[in-house]
Amino acid sequence: MRRAARRAFAELFESLRMSFGTLAAHRLRSSLTTLGIVIGVMTVIAIVAIVQGLNQSVAAQVSTFGAHTVYVAKWPFVSLNDDRWKLRNRRNISKLELEAIQRDSKLATAVAPWTFARGTVTREGREAENVQVNGTNAQYMLTGGGTLREGRFLADSDVALARPAVVLGADVADQLFPGSGAGSVIGQTVKLAGRRFDVVGVLDRRGRLLGMVSMDNVVLLPYTTFQRIFGDKRSIAIAVATDPGQMQALEDELTGILRRVRAVAPEKPDDFNLNRQDQFVKVYESLTGALYGVALGVGVITLIVGGIGIMNIMLVSVHERTREIGVRRALGARRRTILMQFLVESSIVAALGGAIGTALGLTVAQLVAMLTPLAATITPSAIALGLGFSGAVGLVFGSWPAWRAANLDPVEALRWE
Amino acid sequence: MTDALAAASAEPALLEVEALTRIYEVGGEEVRALDGVSFAIKRGEWVAVVGQSGSGKSTLMNILGCLDTPSGGRYRIRGADVQGLSDDALADLRTREIGFVFQTFQLLPRATALANVELPLVYRGMPRRERRERAEEALVAVGLASRMHHRPNELSGGQRQRVAVARALVGDPSLLLADEPTGNLDTATGEEIMRLFGELHARGHTIVLVTHEPRLAARCPRAIRLSDGRVIADGPGREVATIGVPQVVSA
Repeated sequence: MRRAARRAFAELFESLRMSFGTLAAHRLRSSLTTLGIVIGVMTVIAIVAIVQGLNQSVAAQVSTFGAHTVYVAKWPFVSLNDDRWKLRNRRNISKLELEAIQRDSKLATAVAPWTFARGTVTREGREAENVQVNGTNAQYMLTGGGTLREGRFLADSDVALARPAVVLGADVADQLFPGSGAGSVIGQTVKLAGRRFDVVGVLDRRGRLLGMVSMDNVVLLPYTTFQRIFGDKRSIAIAVATDPGQMQALEDELTGILRRVRAVAPEKPDDFNLNRQDQFVKVYESLTGALYGVALGVGVITLIVGGIGIMNIMLVSVHERTREIGVRRALGARRRTILMQFLVESSIVAALGGAIGTALGLTVAQLVAMLTPLAATITPSAIALGLGFSGAVGLVFGSWPAWRAANLDPVEALRWE
Repeated sequence: MTDALAAASAEPALLEVEALTRIYEVGGEEVRALDGVSFAIKRGEWVAVVGQSGSGKSTLMNILGCLDTPSGGRYRIRGADVQGLSDDALADLRTREIGFVFQTFQLLPRATALANVELPLVYRGMPRRERRERAEEALVAVGLASRMHHRPNELSGGQRQRVAVARALVGDPSLLLADEPTGNLDTATGEEIMRLFGELHARGHTIVLVTHEPRLAARCPRAIRLSDGRVIADGPGREVATIGVPQVVSA
């Protein structure tokens, strides 16, 4: 038994030595052979790294919305089906629902209205255009609305008295007050829709949602003030935060409150939506999932082409070394010894191609991350995928040539010219 | 001499073939390459198998070397039947019992002399250090102590064949099987190799030399002449070597 194990080990070592010898002797041929594998693995690794990078940055950004927050709205955040026309006759969500939730919800830890409009904010000849104007209340921060860089947030009294107080997003603050030091913005005045507002605070920078929509080109007003400017006819969204683990209970509770307030008949479906931030992530992942699929498809096709290249060169190699195979068989090599020798060789060729492809793919991903706003994440699983896949390609496509080598008749092989 | 003979006959034959046949199908026709060949070879003998090309001597060599199996008859090495063994068992038998020397040397071109000689020991699962020592000893024994790390293309024909002989001997096989070992060498170098075989015979190795040259067969203590797949003569080399030769040549 020990002798058999030692023999297997000695034969494997001999196979490795021979394989590297052959690769070294045919450097050009070996590198051309691996080219298909290199390109295939490079493509897959690069795309996987970029998609995973996107996923992570999106997940990080979306989570700033508040992981334990339900957003009550007239419509779903994201709807992939074209069913919005069915929902367009829904009644608006209004102050009535907001007050009902504030009054009746026992699970809510914070309740904030979110109302949106677009406007231009100006200050002494400087202006920030197309700013998202958001009407809310003092609990906005607790429902995942970001954090303060300086000053204070809107207070309950600002809302109760509909004061002209404003909190600026980072982009707006930088545009209107370039080069100003910390604290100097607080107490300044800006103009919005022809009215004067006192700046009470500035938000921390939040980045771009999905890498595209800036979340810093925003100003926050008390929603009472917002309604005086933009009217109270538009539907609002209500952000309701709760404790971890209470999301489902909160949704059930909110459904009950809303159906009662909106007098939805028992047999009718809900005429409102309860949204969560993870819905964004799901939609996003279904989109990148398709990209993943395409990348893997391209990669698999390239690897198959590369595998056929390996099979071809291995058949040539077996043919060229027919006499060597005969000699080895005469000296006592078993069929499986020969089989292993050629499998080791094709796997090494493929795995070397896989390693080079992985290195190139990671380089490409890094370049993309440096030169574009896209992120790239390199995970060990992507590298394992690349190496494992290419090694498997070597084994699969090397098996037929190896089988042919192992089944050569030693007498014929020795006589081969 | 008589004592030696008695001892030899008491010992079972090293190799024994009995009514050996080997039939090939060529284009739907049966060709009997071997047709009822029987003989026995004892330990320490030096036997030439001689015959014209097509006489069946290559087929016989392949069967004696366990590279091919007979269509009929029996072949025994050290009393154990060879026919019916699996491919793996034949491979193991080759690495234990047979040392091959080929006309075209058949060395691995990219391996050094030492690595070539080590190869049969790899297939026996011998530890690396022991392998190395025995391969070095074998190369010293054939007079190549100074050429161990040369590759075949850096060696002369005679030196290459010496490497091949060392490779055949390194595993201490029961039988040294040489197929036209001087066929690719000039006369002087061929003579060197024949002298080497003579020395090996004197040291007790069992040698079967397959050749078509009566001149070489004449130097062996015993020769077996094959013709059309049958044994037509079996006796002292000097006698068997010349049988029928002039007639065939003049015909």
